[in-house]
Amino acid sequence: MVLTCQACCVLSQGQKVYVFAGTINPGKKISSKEGGAMKISRFCLVFLAVLVALCVVTLISSDTFAQAKKVRKVVVATDATWPPMEMVDASKKIVGFDIDFMNAVAKEAGFQVEYRNTAWDGIFGGLEAKKYDAIISSVTITEERQKKYDFSEPYVNVGQILVIPKAAKNVKALADLKGKKVGAQIGTTGSFEIKKVAGVELKTYDEIGLAFEDMAAGRIDGVVCDEPTAAHFALQRAEYKAKFSIAGQPFTEESYGVVVQKGDKELVDLLNREFAQPRQRRSMSS
Amino acid sequence: MAPLRRKPKTIAGQEPLTIEVGDGAAIPRRKDVGMFTAWRVAFFGAIAMVLYLIFFTPDPYRNIIAFVPDGIWVTFKVTVGAILLALVIGLFAGLGRLATNRVINGIASLYVEVIRGIPLLVQLFYIYYALGRIVNIPAITSAIIAMAVCYGAYMGEIFRAGIQSISKGQMEAARSLGMNKTQAMIHVILPQAVTVILPPIGNEFVALLKDSSLVSILAVADLLRRGREFASETFTYFETYTMVALIYLIMTLFFSKLISIMEERIRAGK
Repeated sequence: MVLTCQACCVLSQGQKVYVFAGTINPGKKISSKEGGAMKISRFCLVFLAVLVALCVVTLISSDTFAQAKKVRKVVVATDATWPPMEMVDASKKIVGFDIDFMNAVAKEAGFQVEYRNTAWDGIFGGLEAKKYDAIISSVTITEERQKKYDFSEPYVNVGQILVIPKAAKNVKALADLKGKKVGAQIGTTGSFEIKKVAGVELKTYDEIGLAFEDMAAGRIDGVVCDEPTAAHFALQRAEYKAKFSIAGQPFTEESYGVVVQKGDKELVDLLNREFAQPRQRRSMSS
Repeated sequence: MAPLRRKPKTIAGQEPLTIEVGDGAAIPRRKDVGMFTAWRVAFFGAIAMVLYLIFFTPDPYRNIIAFVPDGIWVTFKVTVGAILLALVIGLFAGLGRLATNRVINGIASLYVEVIRGIPLLVQLFYIYYALGRIVNIPAITSAIIAMAVCYGAYMGEIFRAGIQSISKGQMEAARSLGMNKTQAMIHVILPQAVTVILPPIGNEFVALLKDSSLVSILAVADLLRRGREFASETFTYFETYTMVALIYLIMTLFFSKLISIMEERIRAGK
């Protein structure tokens, strides 16, 4: 009974039927001899085990292949040093608004996401080298970047804002910091804005947190970054709350977009289709 | 006198031979024909390549070369500043390691041991941000101090070895002339040790020049930082780092040549 069942299974998978046929014949031959009953049963058992294993393996592998075909995996780079948009939490997990957003989009659109924590000043280079499919990392859509990479539709609007030490007097904008040093993360729109103001010396940092730490140490007189991140450092962090304040209002109008490789129309369309869905459909957790 | 435990072979009463591979650039010595030729090929090749790229592919190479000169200057300042400070620290560390006073000897040895056991990159972060909490000094000064504290430990070992290479008879002769220990050290031992110490110090200088690229993580606008800023704004990663690598190569080769010339002079003067 069991044997026939296995045979069916193997046949249904269309795999190596001749193996099965070959096992039956010697079994019959041996059974005709006397006193070989024990040996035969053992022999059969071993082959049964092999057949079962074969069946299981084929079933599992065909199952996973089918799944892999259905669900596309998108590898997404993020520079998780930009709270509250993307950061690493206490359990070393990458979390933040961008991550929640991307997860929600992926869930709706039916693809898997894998995140790669990548240093900001090489993040575009990595995309060019095809190390990942997309970047979600509070990337402002700029003309320069659009020349080399493709963007999704904007998903958040933000502005650059100046953070200064509380002790600083009469500083309302970047222009009031002539002859002084102002920090920003390397290669960010914040650093481009500082560069535009003549007389202000730009200092670039690998991470925005290092810029704030340097301002706390008194080495620089201001930091420019995206408004949500500025609010996180200047208003929420316990160690900086008493030291920093925000100067004036956001002075640029920018939009974040998801970056993909130039010409990756498939992924851009997939994202844009999902972005166009009504907001309330998306379930943003935490 | 157990015959099996013979001392290692020595040459004319010196220390047994050891293999020495410095972490600086290879110094092109005349007797090493291969390296001497390689130096010429690399040095003039790098210069030719820079010129070629600037004149025949002005975009982006000419923009890069226009962007980085202040970075080269900062790299140079950090290197020279750090080596000078490291020399002072190294001299005291070296003398401390030779001191008979157990406390001084202990402190100097501990300094050398601790510093040599911590990666330079970690030290840079640590000293830069630790200093920042205590005193308000500019970034470039903090970077120079951090580099000097690290290299001081290695310099200390060079000074110690250099001083120990001078035969004991020199000290004894100086003492018998009525000098005290300090006078003997300043007037007799150190002037002789300098000729032994200078070549490895030159080597350390080239090594430090290369390691100075690490200060770019401290927001010190050195050559590498300027290159990274340019690349992250224009996305010309390959072109920018090609240029940065060539400029570093030209600088290290130039200084290693200077050191080989200095070595020859010292040898001729003996």
